[in-house]
Amino acid sequence: MMRLFNWFRRGSLERGLARELQYHFDRRVVDLTTTGIPEAEARRRVAVELGLAQVREEVRDVWLTRWLRDFLYDLRYSARSLRHSPGFTAAVLMSLALGIGATTAIYSLVDQVILHALPVREPERLVLVDWNGDDLITGDIGSSNLMPYPICRELQQQTRFLDGVLCRAEIQVNLTAGGDPRPVAAEIVSGSYFAVLGVGPALGRVIEPEDDAAPGAGPVVVLSYDFWQAQFGAAADIVGRKVLIGNHPMTVVGVAAAGFRGIDVGFVPAFWIPTSIYADANLGTDEDLLHDNTRWLQILARLRPGVSAAQAQAGLLPWFRPWLEDSTRRAGFPVITAEKRHLYLASSLILIPAPQGHSPLRRSLSQPLWMLFAATGVLLGLACLNVASLFLARGSARVREIGTRLALGASRGRIGRQLLADSLLLAVAGGVLGAAVAPLVIRSLITFLPHDLAATDLHGTLSLRLLTFAFFASVTAGLLSGLAPALQAGGESLVSSLRERGGTGFGGVRLRKAIVTLQVAFSLILLIGAALFLRTLTGLLAKGPGFETTSLLSFAIAPLENGYSRADASRLVRHLDEQVRALPVARSSAVARFALLTGGHWTNVVTMQTDRRSVTDGYINFNAVSPGFFSTLGVRLLAGRDFDQRDIRPAGEIGPRSAIVNEAFVKRYLAGRDPLGVLIARGGGASNVTPNSRIVGVVADISYRGVRDSSEQVFFPLFENDDTGATFYIKVRGAPEQAIPSIRRLVRQDDPRLPILWFRTLDDQVDRSLTTERMLAALSASFGALALLLSLVGLYGVMSFVVTRRTREIGIRLALGATRASALRLVLRDAVTMIAAGVALALPCVAALGKLVQSQLFGVTATDPATIAAAAMVLAAGALSAAFMPAWRASNVSPTDALRLE
Amino acid sequence: MPSPRFPIPQGTLDMLILQILSLEPAHGYGIAQRLEQISRSVVQVNQGSLYPALHRLQQKGWLRAGWKQSETGREAKFYSLTPAGRRQLAVEKDSWARLSSAVNLIFEEGSQ
Repeated sequence: MMRLFNWFRRGSLERGLARELQYHFDRRVVDLTTTGIPEAEARRRVAVELGLAQVREEVRDVWLTRWLRDFLYDLRYSARSLRHSPGFTAAVLMSLALGIGATTAIYSLVDQVILHALPVREPERLVLVDWNGDDLITGDIGSSNLMPYPICRELQQQTRFLDGVLCRAEIQVNLTAGGDPRPVAAEIVSGSYFAVLGVGPALGRVIEPEDDAAPGAGPVVVLSYDFWQAQFGAAADIVGRKVLIGNHPMTVVGVAAAGFRGIDVGFVPAFWIPTSIYADANLGTDEDLLHDNTRWLQILARLRPGVSAAQAQAGLLPWFRPWLEDSTRRAGFPVITAEKRHLYLASSLILIPAPQGHSPLRRSLSQPLWMLFAATGVLLGLACLNVASLFLARGSARVREIGTRLALGASRGRIGRQLLADSLLLAVAGGVLGAAVAPLVIRSLITFLPHDLAATDLHGTLSLRLLTFAFFASVTAGLLSGLAPALQAGGESLVSSLRERGGTGFGGVRLRKAIVTLQVAFSLILLIGAALFLRTLTGLLAKGPGFETTSLLSFAIAPLENGYSRADASRLVRHLDEQVRALPVARSSAVARFALLTGGHWTNVVTMQTDRRSVTDGYINFNAVSPGFFSTLGVRLLAGRDFDQRDIRPAGEIGPRSAIVNEAFVKRYLAGRDPLGVLIARGGGASNVTPNSRIVGVVADISYRGVRDSSEQVFFPLFENDDTGATFYIKVRGAPEQAIPSIRRLVRQDDPRLPILWFRTLDDQVDRSLTTERMLAALSASFGALALLLSLVGLYGVMSFVVTRRTREIGIRLALGATRASALRLVLRDAVTMIAAGVALALPCVAALGKLVQSQLFGVTATDPATIAAAAMVLAAGALSAAFMPAWRASNVSPTDALRLE
Repeated sequence: MPSPRFPIPQGTLDMLILQILSLEPAHGYGIAQRLEQISRSVVQVNQGSLYPALHRLQQKGWLRAGWKQSETGREAKFYSLTPAGRRQLAVEKDSWARLSSAVNLIFEEGSQ
């Protein structure tokens, strides 16, 4: 590094050395002349003795090693020569900046969502503990990889393999901190959470095991650093303040360390509360979550140093088997068949390395992101090819210069290095440009991702990792794009290059044609990808959710979270429902227990009683809806009737009396029989499930979790005391947004302290549920367009070059009587060959890559002939028109001019 | 020439420069003269190779240099030993002593 510094002060170093040597020289001359040698002779002798030129070179080598010095001279030479051809430089910089910028931006998301380890102590020792086998769990709350709390507790005793175990769940609560309550995303965690992660407080203390020792033990809140800053203005006296969670008073005991944002990149909690106060957090259940087997948390454990996940997994079995055995004898364990019981007892725990924490966002985005990353890689490759072909073009213009240098004794390696310096310099400059635009691209990418109440931890800032990545991408791009020209320059025959006339050098036409062919192939792959994702998006938009979304508005409330009792909550929902329906702006309205298209679900198997008893082989999606739900959403009733007064459950009766199923359910499970009148029940296997809900209607299929799915569904009537949390669906007159103020007023009249969780038009809801598809379509389309542009530029360049080179030949042909059309054909034939070869190259790749993208597609297969044909047509049309201009020029060559060129 | 001068063994030039400078600071020409005197014209030092060595030692931090008035009144670049250079000299002296005694030992062994 010090030596590199020498490069910049080489002027003063040189002057110092010259002075120093001069001093030596003069003294020696004086000494020699005093012994009687004539001055001229003395000077000659000293010059020989010292070898001044040699000494200078050797001292320079001390200052800066030879290769580095040469390289820096090369760079300087490159910079100068590039400044002399600004057009070329700009074209190359643009291509590289686009390629590197796009790759860096996508890599940033890949890194943040998939690769980045948590900012906690030794994240590589964290594992996710999941259930492997038949868990008999019926109906879970929320997310994935869920486990019951008692397992977490008991795992903490397994200290031979584990250095601590934590569990956590995402929750949404209403927080009141001086002002109106508002819904806030939070994490409910075991007392071991912070200790296991190794995260400390920025202020006060974090949640500790004592807070979680017994139910209700610790009514405490630990704020996230960001939330403390944003909502409490970083108040220094925050510790000890009282806040309301729902309507339960809790004490803020501390602020977590800055930079710690929970363990899910897609869900950043505003604060943490201990599991001991789950009852106050209103998770919508009456179960004893701390003791029974309801699965509601994710478990993460820290492995002991030196213990691998596999070792720990095997080591936990001797404890887990008896635990399973024991759990079957506990109260509340479902009655199951011997076969089911066998399966249950064969379950085990699996430990999955989780240095990045746990994130459903990661799971849903991993595949799309890797795909986009691959696409940007191809795009960068294309840009490199473009640069290579530009260099080749420039190289052929420099053939004489290079030939001359070779003739003067430059080694081929030395010249190749000079050309590599050109491309490296350009690539790094392109990389700097790319890195400069990357943050903007990343930020706009993030807006494509789904947003909810909880912020995501994604950001568009350049990190060191990202810059390193961009740097390596640039250098790789530089090496790749400089390699072909450098080899070309090294392989050129010296004699022929000097003999040739300037501007007509052979300049690796064959190599450039190969490059264009590759470019055509690459861009066709990207174009086909773009076409597939566009068709997926338009297909999904055309399919829609199966109900009328225009002028449909939804909003949700969660009164239980505000401390309502079930009865009060139910009364409130009913009252609101009536009032909303009476609004002049509402045509009709209805209430559903689960919001549609939000990704959330309520599922279980269904037991059916026809002539025999049977259980569905798959999970069925459930919802509970009020009468008028289907007509409000415009869902066709195919048979039977909607819910009405007859379905009201008499006091004391358990379970719904009636059910409505959808068409898909009938097709799969009740095909060939009259579905009306069949008795069904939620759940299966256990003998205490009695099918006593009568199917009273069949409706058309509607989407449940997202627009893609067309699952089997069963609807139950929304009963009193079941309707404690609700999503309202309102069909309004005119624009849906206009109805919002009057509805807000209604809710406020009933309870000014009850927050509305969201207001959404159903159009908006459909949009949100398609964010990934939209992102894939938009990005792949822009990558496809960029790729097309790059390869067209490449093709145009090569064709122009070919035409210039063949001007004389074409002139002679024309002079000998060839028609202009035949000249045009002559040139275009070249282009057609390249395009055809490119397409032929791309098709097998598309077939191979198709398997990877198939799962992201909808309504179209990855090798759909029509799509591929359309993309190939677009490419061929564009390529031909790019080739046409030079060809047209060729056909307009005047024979006399062409021959005079000689 | 009374006795043929043999070229200086590789790697010992640095040690000799350090030794000379450990007595007092000197400029390049002065070091060359001292080398001639001390070795009584037995060792042949290529005057040119002195300067790359000086710059190398300076880069390693064993020497520091500055322009000062010389005995002739003209400004010359004087080199002097840094503390690190002094330590290095000790190390080199020590390893030289061990090497030469080892070589002597082998010669004596052979002559018996």
